[in-house]
Amino acid sequence: MKGNELFNLQELLSRQKLLICFSGPFSHSVIEELGKAVRNHLENERIEKSAIMDVFSVYVEQAQNVRNYTASREALGRPIPANSGIVVIGKEGDHYVVSSGNLVEADDVPGLSAMLEKLRGLDKAGLKAVYKEQSRKPREPGASGAGLGLIDMARKATRPLEYSLRAVDDAYFFFSLEVQL
Amino acid sequence: MDSLRIEATSCSPLIDFDPAAGLLRIEGESYPENSFDFYAPVFGWLEEYLKAPAPAVVLDIGLSYLNTSSIKCMIDVLEMLDGAHQNGQTVSVRWHYDSDNDRALDMAEEFAEDVSLPFEILAH
Repeated sequence: MKGNELFNLQELLSRQKLLICFSGPFSHSVIEELGKAVRNHLENERIEKSAIMDVFSVYVEQAQNVRNYTASREALGRPIPANSGIVVIGKEGDHYVVSSGNLVEADDVPGLSAMLEKLRGLDKAGLKAVYKEQSRKPREPGASGAGLGLIDMARKATRPLEYSLRAVDDAYFFFSLEVQL
Repeated sequence: MDSLRIEATSCSPLIDFDPAAGLLRIEGESYPENSFDFYAPVFGWLEEYLKAPAPAVVLDIGLSYLNTSSIKCMIDVLEMLDGAHQNGQTVSVRWHYDSDNDRALDMAEEFAEDVSLPFEILAH
């Protein structure tokens, strides 16, 4: 990358009071190592243990969602072009914000936005009810997750989940998700 | 029946099940690459064991962090034990948590809500 591009990128990132930013192919070891780095950093900041675990757990759910989605498309023989995942942890005022972005297939967009709109409309009690309902469902064969990640993030968030879905071409949308803690 | 022991890693817990003593222990952090693969031997072992368990069975859980797919696996483990309890077997759970971490207490309480077996939550 050219020097001025790197400068612009770094300037953009530092404006977000950035803790970490990772973009590239997510492997389990990358997720684990970055997670450790985040925890070490937050422990040095002397913030409460429950707050550290909230940031860490939202980061793990987002990173594993990106990784599992990418792996599932590969398994279907439809690999996502240009390994596109990104996860960013930053701070806005007193709040930590954990964000992720990745390409999703156009066919998955209606289901994803319906789910997020539903969660955005629920209060704490409503989110807990949806969480309990989902956690009792038998696991779908072949599913890599339990379908609890987004609900769990919404429960930990201090404001409704923010998201965007932007068409990249006919086949893919860029999905971004922002969770404020 | 053989005991089951799986050593802890940085992202998966210790599993230490002693069938004769009826002492089952799960301890550490749980966010493995694939939770369902990780817990598959645990489910298999419990299914077999609960057909003819020790007179009293205690599951000691000391999990400081679980990702959501591990939470689902733990719900399934607790449901298996709860089924044995409802069939008249003596089964109980002791959930250990770090008193600095109130999230861990909230989580333990949510697990306890869904089962009828004796469920103790212990701060350390």
